[in-house]
Amino acid sequence: MILSGIAVGSFYALMGLGMVLIYKASQVPNFVQGEMALLPVFLAYMLLETYGLPWFVAFPVTLLFALLLGCFLEFAILRRAKEPNILGLIIITIGMEMILLGLVSWKFGADQRSMPFPISTYDSIAIGDLYISTLEMLTLVVALIIMLVLFLFFRFSKHGVAMKASQQNENAAKLMGIKVHRVRMVTWGISSLVGCVAGLLIAPILVEPYMMWDFMLKGFAGAVVGGMTSLPGAVLGAYIVGIVENLFGGYVSIEFKSVVAFAIIVLVLCVKPSGLFARHYVKKV
Amino acid sequence: MKGNIIWIVVAIFTSSLSFSLNAVAEEGVTDTEIHIGQWGPQTGPAAPWGAVARGTDAYFKMINAEGGIHGRKIVHHYFDDAYNPAKTKAGVKQLQEDVGIFAWVSGVGTAPGLAVESYLMERNIPWVSPSTGSAHWVDPPKKYLFALYPLYSGDAQVLVNYAVEKLNFKKIAITYQNDDYGKLGLVGAMKQMNRHGLKLAAEIPVNVADTDMKPHIMKLRQVKADAVLLFVTPGHVARLIGTGKAMKFEPQWMTTTTCGDFPLMMYITKGLYAGTISATFGMLNPGQVGIGNVEDVNNPTLPLMKKYYNDVFKKYAAKEERWGMTFAAGIAYAEPLVKGLQLAGRDLTREKLVKKMESINNFQGIMGRVSYKPFQADDPLCRLGQKEVFLAQATEDGKYKVLTDWIQTEYVNYE
Repeated sequence: MILSGIAVGSFYALMGLGMVLIYKASQVPNFVQGEMALLPVFLAYMLLETYGLPWFVAFPVTLLFALLLGCFLEFAILRRAKEPNILGLIIITIGMEMILLGLVSWKFGADQRSMPFPISTYDSIAIGDLYISTLEMLTLVVALIIMLVLFLFFRFSKHGVAMKASQQNENAAKLMGIKVHRVRMVTWGISSLVGCVAGLLIAPILVEPYMMWDFMLKGFAGAVVGGMTSLPGAVLGAYIVGIVENLFGGYVSIEFKSVVAFAIIVLVLCVKPSGLFARHYVKKV
Repeated sequence: MKGNIIWIVVAIFTSSLSFSLNAVAEEGVTDTEIHIGQWGPQTGPAAPWGAVARGTDAYFKMINAEGGIHGRKIVHHYFDDAYNPAKTKAGVKQLQEDVGIFAWVSGVGTAPGLAVESYLMERNIPWVSPSTGSAHWVDPPKKYLFALYPLYSGDAQVLVNYAVEKLNFKKIAITYQNDDYGKLGLVGAMKQMNRHGLKLAAEIPVNVADTDMKPHIMKLRQVKADAVLLFVTPGHVARLIGTGKAMKFEPQWMTTTTCGDFPLMMYITKGLYAGTISATFGMLNPGQVGIGNVEDVNNPTLPLMKKYYNDVFKKYAAKEERWGMTFAAGIAYAEPLVKGLQLAGRDLTREKLVKKMESINNFQGIMGRVSYKPFQADDPLCRLGQKEVFLAQATEDGKYKVLTDWIQTEYVNYE
C-alpha cells in the first residue's frame, strides 16, 4: 500500500510542484495547471498518432510547446489584469482552464484514447510480493530528477536566484535590476513544463479531456498539505496524500478513498494553515 | 354599418374556427413535421456518449430522406446537457414550452433522465428508450414511458450463470460503480450467486473520480477471484485491467453492454481487453452469426447494420465521427419510436402512439426482440421493451466471438 502510495504520489508531486512554483511567483492558486499540461499532451498525441513522429521528436517539441504556453498565458492574460486581487486572479485561472479544456474538447473530441509510449504501460517489476509498474518507476525517477534540477536551479543559477528574489521582495528585486515580469513569465513557463512532464507520464494509461483534473486537485491537496510556499513541502505533501489515500482505501474504506485527500486539506488548514513544511510567518505588532 | 357587422362576425367566426382547429391539433405535429426531442452530453466527462444523440440524428435524416413517416418529416431537436441534470431539466422545459415537442427519445444518463421524468409524465408526453438500463424507468411503470435498454441486473445474471455453469468458477467478485448502474449490477449478481448457493467473493465499489486502481486490485487478489464482473465505465475497465496486469492478477474479466464497444476497448486497453467476456444487447444477431463464430462490427454482416452503416453513418455522420457501438446505439434507441410512429398512421396523436407502442410485439431492429404490453400499474415488464442479451468475447483483433444465443433475463429491482 505504501509503495503504491509513493508511486501515485509522484504524479501528484509533479502537479503540486507546478502549482507551488506559480503560487510563489504570482500569489495565486493556479487552477489552469492541469490544462496547461492537457493541451501539450494532446499535441504530443497528435504528433505521435496523426503525424507518426517518433517519441524522441514529439516529446521535446511538446515540452517546448508547454514552456511557451506557460509564458504566453502569463504574458498575454495574467499580466494584463489591472490591479487584480487574489479572487480576481483565481477567477482568471479558472477562466483559462475552461478555455483550454474547451479548445481540447472542440479540436480532439471527447473520445478516450491511448497514447503510444516508449516503455510498456503495464509491465511491472516485482519485489517479493510487491509490484510496481515500469511506468510508475519511471515517474518516480523523473519526479526525483525534476526536484533535484529545480533545487539546483534555484540554488545556483542566476535566473533561479532572481526568481527567489522576485518572490521574496518584488520592489527590492526591481531596484536590483531584476526584470520581475520576465522572471514571472519564465516561472509560468517552467511550471507548465513540469506539469506537462506529469501529463506525458499519465497519458499512456488514458488520454481524454478530463484526464488531468483529478491529478491537479490531488497535486493541489499535496501542495496545501506541504505548504504552498515550499517546493520540498509540496513534494512531501503530495507523497503524504498518495500514501494516506492508499492506506485508507486498503484498510478503512475504498468507497471514500478519493475524498480522503480533501479531508486532509481541511485538517491541515485547521491545525497548521501554512502547511506542514512551510515556514509560518507571524507579523508582530 | 350593417356591412361592418357582417365583416366582424366573419372575422370572429374565422378566428374561432382556427382556434378550435389549433386546439385539437396535437402538440409537436403539423401537416409536414413531427417534432422529436432528445438530450445527451456533447461536452463534459460523459461526452463520449454524445455519439448516441448524433447517431439518432443521422438515423432520422435517413428516415426523412426515405420519405419520412406518413408524409411527415421528423424534426429532431437535441441539445447538450453535459450530463448535468439541472441543464437537462432547463433544456427539456425550454424545448417543450417554446417549440412544442411531440415525444422524446433516448436521453443519456439515469440522473439527467430522473430530473425530467415527472415533468414529462405529468404532461402525458411520450418518452421512448431512456439510454440506461436503470429499473427506475419501469418500477413502477409509467403509461407514457417506454424503456428499451435491458436492465443492468440482467447483464449480471447472464454473466454469473456463464461463469458458474460454463467456466466452473466458484470465486466470482464484482467491481461496481458507486451509483445506480453499478448497484443494480451488484444486486443482480448477488441474487444470481445465491441461486447457485454461492456468495460473491468481493464487492468493490469504484467512484467516478477514482484514477488509481491498485487498492481495488489488491482486494481482488486477496480473495483470489477467478472471474471479476466489471460494472464500471470503459475508462475504469482500462485502468482495472491494466493495473491487474501490472500486479500479475489476470482473472476472467467480464463486462456489460456499457463496455461492449470492443474495437474501442481494445484500443484504450492497448489490447489487454482481448479475452474479456461481455454482455451485449445488440448490433449483431447471435442466431445469425452462430455460436462460436466471429463478427466484425466495423464491417457488419447483419443486413440492417450494413444498411445503417452505409445509409446512416456514411451519408449523414460528421467526418470525424467514429462508427461504433455508441453511435449505432443512437440508431437502435430510436427504432421502436419510429416503428410506433409508423403504426400510428397519418392521424397522429400521443394517445394513438402509446396504443400502437403497446402493440409492438417481437419487433427486432439491431438490438434484441422488443415487446410492450397494455399498461398495467403493477407490471414493470409492460414497459420494458427488451429483456434479452447475449454474451460475446473480445478477440485479439477486436472482433466479437459469439458465446451464447439470446438469453432471456429475469426482472430484478433494487430490493
